[in-house]
Amino acid sequence: MEVEHLWPIFFISLHAMVPITLAAIGETIEESAGLFNIGLEGMMLISALTGALGAEYTGSAVGGLLVGLSTGALLGLVFGVINTYWKGDQLITGVGINLLALGFVAFMLVNLGAPGFHIVPRDVQIKLIPLGVGAVSPLVFVTVAMAFVVYWLLHRTQLGIRIKAVGENPAAADVAGISVNAVRLGTAIAAGALIGLAGAYLSVDWFGAVTKEITAGRGFIALAIVVFSGLNPLLALLGGFIFGFFDGFATWVSTYPKIKEIIPWQFVAMAPYIVTLLVVAGAIGRVRFPKALGIPYLRE
Amino acid sequence: MRIFRNKVAVLLIALFALVAGPFLGTAVAGGKIALVTDLGGRGDLSFNDMGFKGADEAAAKFDLELVTIQSNSGTDYLPNLQNAARTGDFDIIVGVGFLLADAMAEVADQFPDQNFAIIDVTWLGKPNLMEIGYEENKGSALVGALGAMVAAHNGYDKIGAVLGIEIPVLYKFEAGYRYGMHWGNAKYAEVTGKKADVGLLWSYTGTFSDIAKGKAATEAMLAQGAGLVYNVAGPLGIGDLEAITEHLEAKGRSAGPPFMIGVDANQDWMGDGHRVLASMMKRVDFGVYSAVESVVNGTFEGGVIILGPNNGGIAMSGKQDLADFIDFGIGGGAISESDRGRITDNWVAMRAAVPGWIWDAVDELAAKIGSGEVVIPCGWCADTIDQIRADYPD
Amino acid sequence: MHWAQALRKYLTPITESVLAGVIGLAIGAVIMLGYGYDPGAAYVSLFRGSFGSIFSWAESLANATPLILTALTFAIAMRGGLFNIGAEGQLYIGALAAVSVSLIHLPSPLHLIVALLAAMVAGMLWSLPVAILKLTRGVHEVISTIMFNWIAHFFAFYMIANVLTDPIRGEKTISIAETSRFARILPGSSLNYGIVVAVIAALLVLFLLWRTTAGFELRVAGHNPESAHYAGISRRKQVLRAFLIGGVLAGLAGAVQVMGRPPTYALVTGMSQVANLGFDGIAVAMIGRNHPIGIIFAAIFFGGLMVGGRIMQFSPGVPLELVRVIEGVIILALAVPELKRIFHFVRKRFSLRRQSHGS
Repeated sequence: MEVEHLWPIFFISLHAMVPITLAAIGETIEESAGLFNIGLEGMMLISALTGALGAEYTGSAVGGLLVGLSTGALLGLVFGVINTYWKGDQLITGVGINLLALGFVAFMLVNLGAPGFHIVPRDVQIKLIPLGVGAVSPLVFVTVAMAFVVYWLLHRTQLGIRIKAVGENPAAADVAGISVNAVRLGTAIAAGALIGLAGAYLSVDWFGAVTKEITAGRGFIALAIVVFSGLNPLLALLGGFIFGFFDGFATWVSTYPKIKEIIPWQFVAMAPYIVTLLVVAGAIGRVRFPKALGIPYLRE
Repeated sequence: MRIFRNKVAVLLIALFALVAGPFLGTAVAGGKIALVTDLGGRGDLSFNDMGFKGADEAAAKFDLELVTIQSNSGTDYLPNLQNAARTGDFDIIVGVGFLLADAMAEVADQFPDQNFAIIDVTWLGKPNLMEIGYEENKGSALVGALGAMVAAHNGYDKIGAVLGIEIPVLYKFEAGYRYGMHWGNAKYAEVTGKKADVGLLWSYTGTFSDIAKGKAATEAMLAQGAGLVYNVAGPLGIGDLEAITEHLEAKGRSAGPPFMIGVDANQDWMGDGHRVLASMMKRVDFGVYSAVESVVNGTFEGGVIILGPNNGGIAMSGKQDLADFIDFGIGGGAISESDRGRITDNWVAMRAAVPGWIWDAVDELAAKIGSGEVVIPCGWCADTIDQIRADYPD
Repeated sequence: MHWAQALRKYLTPITESVLAGVIGLAIGAVIMLGYGYDPGAAYVSLFRGSFGSIFSWAESLANATPLILTALTFAIAMRGGLFNIGAEGQLYIGALAAVSVSLIHLPSPLHLIVALLAAMVAGMLWSLPVAILKLTRGVHEVISTIMFNWIAHFFAFYMIANVLTDPIRGEKTISIAETSRFARILPGSSLNYGIVVAVIAALLVLFLLWRTTAGFELRVAGHNPESAHYAGISRRKQVLRAFLIGGVLAGLAGAVQVMGRPPTYALVTGMSQVANLGFDGIAVAMIGRNHPIGIIFAAIFFGGLMVGGRIMQFSPGVPLELVRVIEGVIILALAVPELKRIFHFVRKRFSLRRQSHGS
């Protein structure tokens, strides 16, 4: 391994960080309010598809991202309504969204004439910003900014206090005049928007195409990163980067001719998961979650 | 009385069928065929899609109804095949992929009167099962030789291979590619008088779906000086190509080198026609089509059929293939008709930029493989891959 | 009065679930109509395919077998207030353990029992670090189970390709020895005696949760951690109990799948015959309301849905992807217990409007 290879690995990590972190920040917002959504994977998948199509039809990469973001927000609305006003089961809703998305995206890609994937034309993909030592997607900066904005929002604003109150003790929040369902629904939509942006990033930016399994488990990794961060968006940023780094690093070093004689690729591929566990066990430890997480609010 | 009359009618029809059968052929127009895919399902950009393409073309040609049956999990293969066979409606049931092998073995015994065919399996030996195997090693040797010579010509000292999950079928690709690379190095030295020492970078990514792994592995290979990358992992090629495209853009270029080499289907049309140098086409469509055709013609019989460079089952992509698959891409909305001219022109220019002697050398290797003068490892590499890696090193 | 209450208690969730299923099917029908498929024919083949014949019953029950076990893994943790999504990885390890027992030769019933025991122990051991990390370092189980699932995934890849490899085939492990397989209950189908193991496990969990002190403590700890604390119930013990029993059950799920489910009797590259059973188990547990008996029925329902969904590809030719969409809609409908109330609400509105129109 040579020193000049560190830059590309760094950029791979940054780009791998974006979707996990954006989705994790979204999930952080709704979990702070007490909603537990395991449908991230499915929401990202659908948004990756609509984002790709959106980029093509609007003729602009940003247009594609916005379409993906809106799709996510819409799915967030569905998740939110089911789990606030309709007092649904958050876990089953999440599983249902994942299953539906898996079928829906494959159906659109495979059975409606497409060859199973859709390539986003080069001129409507997000342009990378050249930095001399490598090129970086503008979405990396958006992700970093989002982490700070959401951190500020949750911990430094009146709205953040309300959101956390709803997640911690909805009955008390209700008595204090906060509409629990309205706040939760709002966070679900906001979360959906970020998750949708994460999905659109995959197709409009990172891969330049959409396939039926494009998310490849990233929604669940994002879920793990939320736990890693203990609902702190800044730590989610760090967690996303660490995971992205070791994921990219493992793939990278497994191409080195000598490495295979030392360690089988399957063990190299475990690296991001083992490191994440070690970091959590060693440095992060116990995290606290809102008391009412996952519980529908029933006014008594 | 009516029952009796019906029985007579049935008997007469049966008798007629018995006598006239051999003259009429076994199948009738308007029959049904079933295609059972493996877990990759439709849209895997690989052999399931190719299998579907072949079945679809056969259905259109022979006026048959095609039923595609996909599988949710590995446990679905057996019931899917059984359900299809139990209906008794299908003139032939085709299984795509070696993952269906065990289920196919059981079902072929269970329904001895049903015609079956299976792709990528050659070891079952049933009278009612046509087994179609491919010589991917030979095709991979061709693109390996091409790759080594083109890389050397362009001043690169590495070629890459991004592979999917470690399975014996993929060992065949790897083994042939290795052989081809060494052959290409020798040929390059022989023709130009300059020593060529193009080496191999290879990686099993452990996935046929996570595009990020293809992109990261390709970026790593490009950084280590790879002049082209062979995609042996279906959809991961999208990531391979994206990495190559970004690599070129950073240098203000659009056309390769570095290039990608496509697999299974023809992927030359991707990357604007000038970033995919060639595709190692494994004509699963051809295999499925001929299995259906044999039933229609009444020539179906069980046994092993090996498709390779000699009979068009394995081929390096040419210009006609490009045109066919541009249609395929347009049909799916991946590109539009207005792109056709540009892609074709780019492709022609890309191929023309490679010296003619290299193409001649590839043809020479193909001819030698065909005549048996050159033997490419390996038939089934599960037990020999370590030896092959030692014989044809990185 | 007593029995009426009990009946009401059990009937309400059942009617809710049935209603949700019907609403899901109705939405699915609209989707199919939209894409030009015949929903009537599709649903006929769905029900015929899942429960219409002895073979379809057999396939539905065969699908239910591992799901019962993985759902129990999730449910037992949920009863203890823990969110264990580690069944996926634990079942890979259990399946690997069951396969490796076939490296040795043993007489018939003993071989099977040893393989099951090995799988149980392996699943338990894979679950142990999750519990230890939680107790010693406070690592939340969501993150550790997701990470251990992936580690198990790659470990299984390694074992299949390098250690337990079939010398000729290469893409799979050696096959389970004949002496260590579950016999088929119905020849020509996938149903095998593995389902007995699953049902016994469910009954044992039922007994454990509601008839033993350990089960009582687990439920109290999950339901009301504070009163559990005051009652002197050790949190540490509950966490260990929930994860270790869960690991045993998930390990069994992997074992019954490779030892019972024809035709391969081995782990194949990509682990396609065991992959996702852990995650599907979560849905099954939730539909079965984390109750062992509910889980048995939910698993049969879920398994039947998968079987029938496949059959929909045959006669009306509905592609599998659309079948998944419809399955997703049905699951989503199941998530909403309020559907019944919404239904009543809409009906009332509707009839009110009719009345006002009438007047």
